[in-house]
Amino acid sequence: MQETGLIHDIVHTGVPGLDVLLNGGVPRGTTIILEGNPGTGKTTLGIQFLLEGARQYGESGIYITFEELPEQIYRDMSGFGWDLRELERQNKLRIICLEPDVLLDQMTRTDGLFEQLIREIDCKRVVIDSISLFRTLGVSENDGREQIYSIRNIMRKFDLTAFFLREYGETEGRSTPFENYVCDGIIRLSLREHLEKYRKRTIEILKMRGTHIVEGEHHYRFLKDGICILPALSMVEDKILNDGVDRLSTGIESLDELLLGGLPQGSAFMLDSNSKANYKYLMNSILAERLKRGDCVLFMLSGLSSVETLEQTLELFGSSLKEAALEERVFFIDHYHRKVEPEYEKLVIHVDRLSNEEYQKKVYEAINPHFRETILQGKRWFIHYDLNTIISERGREFVKRNFADEMARCRAAGITVLCQSNFTEIGLETSSFLERASNGVIRTWVDGSYQYLQITKSPGGRMSAPHIVDNIRDRPYVRLI
Amino acid sequence: MTISDQELLKLQMECTVFFENNPYAYETAKGLSKKLGRGVEPLQIVLNRLAAISILEKRGEGNMAIYSYKTPYTQSEVEIH
Repeated sequence: MQETGLIHDIVHTGVPGLDVLLNGGVPRGTTIILEGNPGTGKTTLGIQFLLEGARQYGESGIYITFEELPEQIYRDMSGFGWDLRELERQNKLRIICLEPDVLLDQMTRTDGLFEQLIREIDCKRVVIDSISLFRTLGVSENDGREQIYSIRNIMRKFDLTAFFLREYGETEGRSTPFENYVCDGIIRLSLREHLEKYRKRTIEILKMRGTHIVEGEHHYRFLKDGICILPALSMVEDKILNDGVDRLSTGIESLDELLLGGLPQGSAFMLDSNSKANYKYLMNSILAERLKRGDCVLFMLSGLSSVETLEQTLELFGSSLKEAALEERVFFIDHYHRKVEPEYEKLVIHVDRLSNEEYQKKVYEAINPHFRETILQGKRWFIHYDLNTIISERGREFVKRNFADEMARCRAAGITVLCQSNFTEIGLETSSFLERASNGVIRTWVDGSYQYLQITKSPGGRMSAPHIVDNIRDRPYVRLI
Repeated sequence: MTISDQELLKLQMECTVFFENNPYAYETAKGLSKKLGRGVEPLQIVLNRLAAISILEKRGEGNMAIYSYKTPYTQSEVEIH
């Protein structure tokens, strides 16, 4: 069966990286302006878009050129190994050359040339190179507007997904061109100076109706098989941890989106916050979500958080610590020997006044049988690891010696760990080591009047842009903007 | 201005090659004159001649008449029994 490429009516562009920026692709039937100065690759990107449809999804396409001759395009594109003539022979593509006024005339005729061509190859994708010429067609600028508006409507009528190419230089500095309002999206290709002697090619999505976009400028390159976009803040993907694992929701929808669904099960994530930033909402939302989902959780209590305060905070997030305690799904490591209610007594591992060796032995002996038993029952485990407490109670050297080993063992057992730390306080050397030993890092910090959050490392290879942490009235009390 | 048959023949060749190399060009005489750098008037004569001998297809009449290539039928493989 032929794949249609339809995922919620999304049309894949076929340009590596661009679909990532477009949250999968462009909505079907939309008209997008692709603008850039000469030499930025508008034609190549347009052809690549048509090729993807023709080769991968059985969607034929038409490239309409007003100035360039098709033979030139056949020749130029053969440099990328694309045999456009062969696709024409298979009725999957047409490189059409005609005058803009002829196109307009034929488009508006019933059963005109345009309709015939669409029907002939069952066309789904169109590229027009370029709409800049419509400005010079009419007597007044108004004529050009009407023509572009009319063409856009014709594209919609036939449910065609279209790229309108436009020279950027001519609109630069002028008031907003009319077509920017009527078209559904605008993508800009630029060539800028870079490190004095070099030039960098960047792509930016300025407008896109009907899909989320990754904002900002992203580098792109011409490779031997076409244009390839390198989404900004992206790193190499950790396939092993990214594919086919369960994602654990953080309880914060916007954070889950940044994490491509949540924390991958069996990963070790670091929540790094500076002293001013309020990380508690984030941490408690994640912990509460785990309890709600029936997971087992091991909490490391800090000097400021006791079982009692933890119970109250989790209650705020709609999660009952006591209920989980009665089901023996929660355990606590306490360095400060605080009294707890009877329900919790046998679940607290008191580790005060123990040497590091004694501490390790006690925790291991207390918790290991539970790990084994519950994992065999198919239960998931989540560990809240307070690195600030461990460093102050056990010392930096203890962390350096044991952290990587502990995380590796947790990963092997499919246990998800969220470590809480303050990299600034810990110092550069230790924090770099901790970052390396973790699969992901969520940073939150206060700068001026705002608190920010950014994923600076993730197994998916994606870094996020910094988001503002906004307080909201209802659970989970924070959202990212 | 009169155009010799020799000149028209040369132009005819030029047009045929153009449409052969750009099989999905849909041109008016005016549009083609810009692309080939030739006068509209002789082109009109030649394009009509090519349409008459079925090398080109003609849509419409007058200045807005569109000419396109009629891809010749070719057979690349023959099965012999």
